[in-house]
Amino acid sequence: MKKLEFKGLKLLIIVVISYVLLFFIDYSKFKDSLEKINEILIILLPIFVFIIILTALINYFLKPKQILKHFGEDSGKAGLFYSIVGGILSHGPMYAWYGMLEDMRKQGLKDGLITVFLYSRAVKLPLLPLMIAIFGLSYTIVINIYIIIFAIIQGKIIDKIMK
Amino acid sequence: MIKNNKPTIKKAFVNSFKSFVSILPMMFAIIGIVAIFQVYVTPDMISTLFGYSKFADIFTGTIAGAVSQGQGSISFVIAEGLKDQGVSLYALSTFTLAWVTLGFLQIPAEASVFGIKFTVYRNILAFISTVLVSYLTIITIGFIK
Repeated sequence: MKKLEFKGLKLLIIVVISYVLLFFIDYSKFKDSLEKINEILIILLPIFVFIIILTALINYFLKPKQILKHFGEDSGKAGLFYSIVGGILSHGPMYAWYGMLEDMRKQGLKDGLITVFLYSRAVKLPLLPLMIAIFGLSYTIVINIYIIIFAIIQGKIIDKIMK
Repeated sequence: MIKNNKPTIKKAFVNSFKSFVSILPMMFAIIGIVAIFQVYVTPDMISTLFGYSKFADIFTGTIAGAVSQGQGSISFVIAEGLKDQGVSLYALSTFTLAWVTLGFLQIPAEASVFGIKFTVYRNILAFISTVLVSYLTIITIGFIK
């Protein structure tokens, strides 16, 4: 069984202290901030549940050896493809996915593919109609192609740097 | 350490839940920062940062997008308003792209999970890519038209 090691405790303490200070300095903003936290958590809750289920399924169906094969050093184009598609399909804020990526990284996921995944998230399928309405169809197609190309380039560079 | 034995489904869920719980302090910290940011920095305030010069707008767009937090759709709504004000497409591109790809407020959390080296290099590369992707898009659109 996995041991619990909490991440970001120091940061949380700083944030809690900031809220305590805000309580005394500007109570109405403090209240507004708490309401915002509530709003954000309501949006994130289903995403959290989805990520827990997805991580469990990856752990269950993919052995570490398979994760290495699909997302490790020798994963090649298939690894890139899965990371791009995963990035495009992933919803919610970037930080919601850190836990799952960290888990897979411990089992062999390449840093380059984490980078590809995180940058490919800029292709937002649900927002494409809005993007087309504001910027036009050709702009939307071109920028999304460049986003994927640059996600791949970044992944290659990160792999070289992190070696 | 790489384990070779396949876990049971129950074990897989327990491990997944524990992974999630372990990053909860980090997650709550970021949510707390994002909430304060959204209360103090409104979309209207972001809009007022633009409109000085083409170059300044590009720089402002990248930085404003990188520090802003919230759903991607908000960045498009702001961009639509800025477009009507005559802000360049290049600046709007960097702004909307930086909004979804860069997260300066998340850097401490990213570093605590992936390490400082990875986080610094990834964010620098994402920053440069955002400027280049926007620039190349505008150039390409110019050729197409």
